[in-house]
Amino acid sequence: MNETIFTTVCPGCSIACGMYVREKDDGTIDIDWRKDAVVNAGKLCRFGVRLSANLKNATSRVDGNEVEFSDAVTAAGKAIGDGATFISVGNTTCAEHLALMKLAESKSAIVNTGMGAFSSIPSECHPTMGVGVPLDAIENAKKIVLFIDPYEQYPLLVRRILAAKKNGATVTAVGWKAVSLADENKTIDPANYESDLDLDSDSVIIAELNPSTDPARVMVLLNLAKASGAAIMFMKPFVNAVGCDIASKKTDQKSLDQIIAEINDGTIKTLVCLDSDLIEIMPDETAVREALGKLDNLIVITSRASAITDVAKIVVATEPFYKKAGTVVNAEGRALHNSGESTDGIDAIGAMMGQPVGMYDEIHATLLATLGIDEVDERVIPTYEKPEYGAMDANPTAEAVETALVYAGGPFFWNGIVDDNDFVEMNLDMVTANSLLKGIPAKITSDKGEVAIKYKVSDVAPGVVLSNMKLPMTTGMVTSVTVSR
Amino acid sequence: MEIGDCYVGWATDEDIRTRGASGGLVTAMLAAALEKGLVEAVVVLKKLGEFEAVPVVTSDPEEVKAAAGSMHSVPIVLSRYLEYGTKVALPAKPCDARSTIEQAKRGQVDIDTTYIVGLNCGGTMHPAMTRKMLDVMYKLDPEDIEGEEIDKGKLIFETKDGEEHAIKIDELEEEGYGRRESCQYCFTNIPVMADIACGNWGVIGDLAGKGTFVEINTEKGIEILRNAIDSGAVEVTEADEKGKAIRAKVDGAMMKVAAAANEKYLAPIEGSHLDYYMNALKDCINCGACKTVCPVCACGEGAKCTEYSSAADTYKMSLFHLVRFVHLMDSCIGCGQCTDVCPADISLTHIYQRFARPMQDEFEYKPGMDMTTPPFFGVDLLEEGH
Repeated sequence: MNETIFTTVCPGCSIACGMYVREKDDGTIDIDWRKDAVVNAGKLCRFGVRLSANLKNATSRVDGNEVEFSDAVTAAGKAIGDGATFISVGNTTCAEHLALMKLAESKSAIVNTGMGAFSSIPSECHPTMGVGVPLDAIENAKKIVLFIDPYEQYPLLVRRILAAKKNGATVTAVGWKAVSLADENKTIDPANYESDLDLDSDSVIIAELNPSTDPARVMVLLNLAKASGAAIMFMKPFVNAVGCDIASKKTDQKSLDQIIAEINDGTIKTLVCLDSDLIEIMPDETAVREALGKLDNLIVITSRASAITDVAKIVVATEPFYKKAGTVVNAEGRALHNSGESTDGIDAIGAMMGQPVGMYDEIHATLLATLGIDEVDERVIPTYEKPEYGAMDANPTAEAVETALVYAGGPFFWNGIVDDNDFVEMNLDMVTANSLLKGIPAKITSDKGEVAIKYKVSDVAPGVVLSNMKLPMTTGMVTSVTVSR
Repeated sequence: MEIGDCYVGWATDEDIRTRGASGGLVTAMLAAALEKGLVEAVVVLKKLGEFEAVPVVTSDPEEVKAAAGSMHSVPIVLSRYLEYGTKVALPAKPCDARSTIEQAKRGQVDIDTTYIVGLNCGGTMHPAMTRKMLDVMYKLDPEDIEGEEIDKGKLIFETKDGEEHAIKIDELEEEGYGRRESCQYCFTNIPVMADIACGNWGVIGDLAGKGTFVEINTEKGIEILRNAIDSGAVEVTEADEKGKAIRAKVDGAMMKVAAAANEKYLAPIEGSHLDYYMNALKDCINCGACKTVCPVCACGEGAKCTEYSSAADTYKMSLFHLVRFVHLMDSCIGCGQCTDVCPADISLTHIYQRFARPMQDEFEYKPGMDMTTPPFFGVDLLEEGH
């Protein structure tokens, strides 16, 4: 059986690990290890290893009926009028994102990347929030502070941090769960970060920026980096979140919560989502489903089947990510090019605004100009200006409640996939206090309902029930709950 | 031509002779096997860059010819790409050949339709390490490299300006570079388990660098070489005794180096074995890559190591690893693939070998050497009357 081999990156997170996808004649795929990939030396986390099992191609539909791709494109073109709202969080190439920006522009709109924090934080901070540090720089840091759990959220950082430790670095983790590679695990009041962490210009801070991140927490961390001189890296859950943010700079972004609110109050009637499944991305799945149901037109342009493709009025099913011509920009700011040559998605977006086929070259040139490079070379990170910014007043929302279900996040979580994440974690005190029994699921109850789920005893902060899988009874990334047998 | 015969051969096509290693005999033989219908497909490494190649299963002789040349910086085991029932040939380092045989024992490969064209191997290197080594040890830009070879214990890189840059492998390994750790302690340099064993050791005189030493090990070995000669793709001459002696001497020297590496890396575990394994595996992120890439694993999706373990478990050591330890006890060939792909940089091959070697020594069972000895956990169903 013949096969076509694509050189691509894993779509699981903003590290963008290099990999091969082997596509057989019958369309089935296998992944393979690309050991010469500069980002990951061919290593992949469970999400990448299991990509072929979890990646499901979408089907073009109109009003629930399967249709030809071209018919879905025509229907979408007719349905997208002025006043439509556009979202692309960064699960596709820069070229497709830029094509959507053109479409949005033609409707006097912008493309929202879902990272609401950008709109709440002064623009001089945006380059620092967007592009992090080279992954090699993590290995050379003297001190690393983790505001993430690398094992769960960004597994390919583990080897970088372990390498730093071999080079003599000390690692401090500040989070919900003790991280075994950390020399110390701490719970620190944000007001005391600066005094307790004792960072300097040889330090690296690693945190996360996702659509639900409290902008005030980002500001606190930016203040910490500024005051200490430490480098800071905000990891993002979407493979090309950095590229899409760079492409969408200086636009007035709405947060996903704002968009849902505007759907609910009737301001938004038509929503166009490019590889962005709000049901998967937003913590309160029920509320999102209710809001999406109020739209006149939910148009989903996507390369994979997911929860939102089941409820969309129009689904334009584009080629899988690995086949797309185009580039992504990872958390380091490194541009990485797919070997795929398909421009079906771009051409479809072009057709929706009456553009002839063949926008790719023009769009790709725009990207290169934006990045200030002549060609994509994965071994050379483009130069990014990171202007100085001033200290900001920031009062993060208190996240701790007496007992809280907290979403840890991770590639399976952000892609709505149940894999080896079908359990919650809590510490032994909570298990004992609630008389939980080994082998019997725990009941987790919130105002919205109850689930019975496997639990694991871990070194999790007191009062925290940690989950890496979306549960139906949550209202946010942190939900007040009770635990019982 | 008989089993045990030794020859020195080369490709008749000048282009293959120039581009292929040691006179291009292996490339010419594989291409001829396809062209004459001896096999339906050949597994080769399709070169994408100086340090990058991807395995392809091809029926196109031109693709086989394009894959000519050695690539020490592409440490991939090709047996994973074999499909049962296809009449296929593959160029095989000893770990390619041994894993093919282990898979055949487990019914995953049909050994009767698989032509194993063995290649002598003194070890391979991870591309990421190679790039770093070029920078640190050779003071060269990896993008300037146009070729590499190993000769007389030296690793030689050729730059685009035609210059050669050589450093002794011993020196590189003392600094933590050079061959992968598992290659350093590997005792199998000549693929005696392959149908035919090829390499440049023992090619002397005028043919040095221009010919390949060939030893016939099986009837299939005769078949594939005879096919290449009859089709005019290859010419051979009988190997002389001096060449044979030199080949054996080089192999012996490599064995001594491997023995030293075994003492260094695989010394008996001191203290609690459980503590050793728990500590070694503490950063495992449960990705399953080690199993997926393992060329001797024959269990597929329903494997016990994955079926009976869960990320929700809180055992001291995961059942995934425990089951794999047991499974690999009689099959781990030390190919290094698991270490290469481990996202937490755990030296898995080292750990598996430390677990497996004492058992393999006790049962005098070296996996992948021939089809006659079943795995020591295996039951010969035919002999049992089933």
